[in-house]
Amino acid sequence: MLGSILLQAGVAHESFTQFLAQNIEVFLSYTGFANATSGHFIMLLVGLAFIFLAIKYEFEPMLLIPIGFGILIGNIPFKDAGLQLGIYEEGSVLNILYQGVKQGWYPPLIFLGIGAMTDFSALISNPKLLLIGAAAQFGIFGAYIIALQMGFDPSQAGAIGIIGGADGPTAIFLSSKLAPNLMGAIAVSAYSYMALVPIIQPPFMRLLTTKKERLIRMKPPRVVSQTEKIMFPIVGLLLTAFLVPSGLPLLGMLFFGNLCKESGVTRRLAETARGPLIDTITMLLGITVGASTQATQFLTVNSIKIFGLGALSFVIATCAGVLFVKFFNLFLKEGNKINPLIGNAGVSAVPDSARISQIVGLEYDPTNYLLMHAMGPNVAGVIGSAVAAGILLGFLG
Amino acid sequence: MTNKRFGIFLLLLAFFSLGAQAQLVTSMKINEVLVINEDNFVDDYGMRHPWIELFNNSAGTVDLGGCYLTNEKDNPTKYMIPKGDVLTKIPPYQHTLFWADNQKDRGTFHLNFTLDPNKDNYIALYDADGKTLVDEIVIPAGQKPDVSYGLDMDGTGKWGILPKVTPSTNNVTLDTNEKIENFQENDSWGVGMTITAMAVVFIGLIVLYLVFKQIGKAAIHASQRNAKKAAAATGQTISANAGQESGEIFAAISMALYEISDDNHDIENTVLTIRKVKRSYSPWSSKIYGLRQTPVKK
Repeated sequence: MLGSILLQAGVAHESFTQFLAQNIEVFLSYTGFANATSGHFIMLLVGLAFIFLAIKYEFEPMLLIPIGFGILIGNIPFKDAGLQLGIYEEGSVLNILYQGVKQGWYPPLIFLGIGAMTDFSALISNPKLLLIGAAAQFGIFGAYIIALQMGFDPSQAGAIGIIGGADGPTAIFLSSKLAPNLMGAIAVSAYSYMALVPIIQPPFMRLLTTKKERLIRMKPPRVVSQTEKIMFPIVGLLLTAFLVPSGLPLLGMLFFGNLCKESGVTRRLAETARGPLIDTITMLLGITVGASTQATQFLTVNSIKIFGLGALSFVIATCAGVLFVKFFNLFLKEGNKINPLIGNAGVSAVPDSARISQIVGLEYDPTNYLLMHAMGPNVAGVIGSAVAAGILLGFLG
Repeated sequence: MTNKRFGIFLLLLAFFSLGAQAQLVTSMKINEVLVINEDNFVDDYGMRHPWIELFNNSAGTVDLGGCYLTNEKDNPTKYMIPKGDVLTKIPPYQHTLFWADNQKDRGTFHLNFTLDPNKDNYIALYDADGKTLVDEIVIPAGQKPDVSYGLDMDGTGKWGILPKVTPSTNNVTLDTNEKIENFQENDSWGVGMTITAMAVVFIGLIVLYLVFKQIGKAAIHASQRNAKKAAAATGQTISANAGQESGEIFAAISMALYEISDDNHDIENTVLTIRKVKRSYSPWSSKIYGLRQTPVKK
């Protein structure tokens, strides 16, 4: 009797132990350790590198911290068991937040904030600086030509080329329409190079200018009346959007935000747009763009090509801006000449590229402050890249 | 005055709201009609009848509920499309089919008239007011069995015999991306796109430059005029570049004014300074204890 009880207990114990072992085995199969691949670890390292660059060197921390952390979130390996965890699983929290990127409605909201925080005075007081913003868009089309030669189709090449506009929201907006499958790589590439503007641009600015040119002093900008500031967003919208209606979501929001700022009667709206709204959208955009770089989707030959093309497009844009100013100076009278060091600011990347003009300028003349002048082509670059995106969408969309 | 402004605002709002509504319904088009259905599409009851396909040629959902379909020019409200049916909401660039079987008791999409293959068939869609014509078409007599008459491009184009019958689907489907293929064929290097796009970017920004150059001139002129007026009032002379002063001058003046007004006070807001007081203090040297002087012995 006792023996049979002990035997039964032993059998029960054995089956319970087996049950526990099975449970642990199932649990282990769900952990990140069991599902990790080398791709996940590579992407985790990329994410950590972004966070390191943001904290240690303060390279665009507002962008690189959310994107870097998003990369960590997006590359935690897990078993695909329909638990609605991943960013590409319909109905998951990340997927819902990702819709703002996928459907392209985060970028116009970011543009609303940019409009509400941008002072166009430098541009209004010296409108010829607008042309530098146009010239720098060669970066987009230079990259477009090279991308075509590398085997991308015209839609993909257009989406890749827009990286040269140095405008993250525009790059996301256009790639979500033209090449949704490449959007993750394009967005990460655009934001990475925007953060690396202090490294990419100065060597080319020095290479393409003479010492005499770097010392050119520009006339201080005149004071701009409020009426002019109010007219700028209205006239700017009507002219650019009539020309390129496909740029309307970006241009409309940019100029609307600026009108809120300059009208003087919608201070609360402007403050919300340039404060809590843009901060919220930046966080959501950064974290979801980062999370969209899941190793399985992201680590491809195309992504590497896109990163290479992105760097090239920034170089072309910088060179085009600087060379255009040199060319433009041939037609300007002495005293009205433009310092070619502000040519690099024609790429959007507000205000980092303008800051680079200032820093490089001060290296050669510690009393020559170029920041205000560089802000002109810098904000013109925002308008120019939005117009260029509209054109690409119109032709290839 | 406030009430008047509010009234105008409401009127404008109503006007634009009405405009928006009308625009949505008017984007519905009669798209394809099959008059003789012998061996073609069957309805939910397994029957073959003539049908009329409508197409929403807009980017917004259109609710057909309350609108009218008719085959008589002088009776625009012959068949009211019932309200409250979710299926009458037509998504953007989508189709819906109405059966001309004269059996309206079979549901929303069964009309109370039929089409006569022996004569011209007039078909019209009217808005919910029963007066606004949305679209109309006359299908000529002599239609062939199982051959439909429709638009050669959905929602637009010309009416004619269609090469294939396409109930509830597009009359024309594209097998290729024409735009992209055109670029691939004619601009494989991307130079054409670059020239075109850069030209547009430059044109846009040059126009903006020219406009703001003129606006800037007008602004400088206006500020000079104001400066002259002010000078005339005070009897002073004005400098040649009045109205074109740089922001730096104003910044310097502001800074000087700020310093003058601020010099009177030596308060640094939001700065907390903790200064260590080096004073030898002891209860033994406190005043309270010093009240009683120690008698000095001489």
